[in-house]
Amino acid sequence: MKSLNFVSRHFHQRMALALLLTGFVTFVCASSQALPADDVITIGVVLPTTGSESKPGTYQKEGIELAIKQINDAGGIMVKSKGKKLKINEIFYDDSTDSKKSASLTERAMSSDAAVAVIGGYSTALGTAESVMADRYKTPWITTGAGATAIFSKGYQYAFGTLSPVALIGTTSAEFLGYLVDQGKLKKGMKVAIVVENTDHGIDYVQGFNEWSNKHAGYFQVVVNEKFELGATDFSGILQKVKSSKADIFLSDAHLPDYITMHRQYLQNGMRHQMISYGARGPEAAARQALGAGTDYIFSGIWWSNKLPYPQAKKFAEEYKAFTGHDVDSWYAAPAYDGMRILAKAIEAAGSLDKTAIRDALKKAELKESILPGQVLKFGANGQTEYPFVITQNKPDNKVDIVFPKDAATGEPVAPIPAK
Amino acid sequence: MEAVEYLDLLLKALLLAGVYAAMAVGMTVVYGVMKIVNLAHAGFLMLGAYFALEMFQRFHIDPILGAVLALPVFFLFGMAVHWLLVRWLPKSDTPTLASLLLMFGFWLVLQNVGYLAWGNEDQSILTPLTLSSIQIGEISIPKVNLVVFGAAVACMVVLQILFHRSWFGRSMRALIQNPYAAQIVGVDDQRTSRLTFGLGTAFAGFAGALLGMLYSFSPDFGRQFLLRSFVIIVLGGLESISGVALGAIVLAVFEIFSIRVPVPWYSHGAWASYYLPASYQPAMSFALLVVVLLLLPKGVAGLLERKWKAA
Repeated sequence: MKSLNFVSRHFHQRMALALLLTGFVTFVCASSQALPADDVITIGVVLPTTGSESKPGTYQKEGIELAIKQINDAGGIMVKSKGKKLKINEIFYDDSTDSKKSASLTERAMSSDAAVAVIGGYSTALGTAESVMADRYKTPWITTGAGATAIFSKGYQYAFGTLSPVALIGTTSAEFLGYLVDQGKLKKGMKVAIVVENTDHGIDYVQGFNEWSNKHAGYFQVVVNEKFELGATDFSGILQKVKSSKADIFLSDAHLPDYITMHRQYLQNGMRHQMISYGARGPEAAARQALGAGTDYIFSGIWWSNKLPYPQAKKFAEEYKAFTGHDVDSWYAAPAYDGMRILAKAIEAAGSLDKTAIRDALKKAELKESILPGQVLKFGANGQTEYPFVITQNKPDNKVDIVFPKDAATGEPVAPIPAK
Repeated sequence: MEAVEYLDLLLKALLLAGVYAAMAVGMTVVYGVMKIVNLAHAGFLMLGAYFALEMFQRFHIDPILGAVLALPVFFLFGMAVHWLLVRWLPKSDTPTLASLLLMFGFWLVLQNVGYLAWGNEDQSILTPLTLSSIQIGEISIPKVNLVVFGAAVACMVVLQILFHRSWFGRSMRALIQNPYAAQIVGVDDQRTSRLTFGLGTAFAGFAGALLGMLYSFSPDFGRQFLLRSFVIIVLGGLESISGVALGAIVLAVFEIFSIRVPVPWYSHGAWASYYLPASYQPAMSFALLVVVLLLLPKGVAGLLERKWKAA
């Protein structure tokens, strides 16, 4: 018994020592991370690289890291108050596509890591969770993946976004269809059925479409305006409603799985419209894999395309491939890349690492030679940028063309969709 | 709405019921015998879909055959999961927190294994059957949904035969009715539970492979079906196979028709027709669940059984 007590006491002493040592090492490590080094600019990046949004999150991380590499390779950012160029030190956190984790990691980057700015928030849900931290910690926060206007209508002073408002997809889609009417490809006064997901994204889309439609009376008549739950298993009822309405144009705003499920049932029902769109969805390889030629002629409004004819966009595509080893086959990396570039420009303009000075500089910043549509990136009064969307249209044999606006077009729009 | 549209929707509802029944039957079997709410069912559905995809892409095996092949593979997998994890759970007549946590944790493990193995990209299986339909006048019947419906009916029939004509089925029924009495008369509860879990997993894998032909899927696949499975099981009466079919039909009809049938509405001194917005569909399904739990705790099947006995 005595020996057992001795062993137990000895064990506890060792355990206590081990815990103390672990605590000390953790403290030292944490302290070294928390204390901002004088000769670097600490930028926090919070994105999902695991979980359901890991693919776009990884692409955005790659875009940011490419910009950081290019800035650091050029010697860093000139900070006047330090009298020298400082390199960027990125502190990256994976939020695992969990909004609670996303918010707490943003808080950590802004408080204990003392980042001068944080970039992150892919998808509206995660961006919304992160956005509340910016004003709380008075740290500039740039979301490169959340486009819902709800985030920017709360009067936040430190929140910025490099995605154009989702409402603009609706507006640009309406503008594109109006352009086709003006071209004589579609008739005026066509009936439109709109079916969107029941989220801020879907609501913004409808609002954008109606805004343009109301300003241009006589172009379209909305005959169905419905919302559906995310991840729905069946669209029979809703599609029958669309069918009964005898609409000429079918517009939807949906996430990829819903786009695939809905369009599959659309095709199985033998439905046909003169024009079809699923909002920002359309050219994805997964949709082509699921529906084959069934996705031909679908048009979509997207934030960026690797087919944009700007030289800087082409250069970015080449550099991105050299940096990551794969093509830039989606829009995700571009707004993230320019998000980091405009932040660097703002830090240089602020001339110091004071967060409020950087925030003020971001409000005035203008990134010329932006790779995004319109070629200039700047933030509006609410912190969100507003550049035009490009409309792409799927063509047979897996071809995708930019069809609108005309100055960026790589092909002619096909309208109405030819009968098979 | 015209008569032909009602008929079209009714057919679509029946086909959807087939999908729902296929996905819920495995969960019902496990709940009935073991009183485990198998949250990992969604993970098995996901693995079933990927199994069919791998068979299709690597060996060019038709997904329908892939679904059949999934049965023995997932049966063995389910037995292994039972041997490794489930058998250690404390025995109980009612679902326990330990079983819920274990199955939820295992679902998360399966999901993450899925992310590691296949990434998070949405995958689909495109065969000549996927987009083709049988056209009867204005009504179109998707062939792939017909196949899933047929498979679901076959599952139910096989399970009913197994339930009533085999020693294993009788053991299962005995355990459902009274686990203590069943053990007294010589039913080996461990062995029956292991086989039941294997059977439930096999049906989940089978259903997952079939669902992979209807929907795109990622490692997160199955979540939307899990909630509906609960509704179906409760509607059907928790432990009844025929109840699953009934629950699936009730849910599918309710979901599809809820947005297309006009609800009379008295407003501004006159009656008007009001259509429920489609976004209320899930809310309607779960309202149905609450109503059934309150008014018919033994489900619709239990009510019919009582009426049958009274007659």
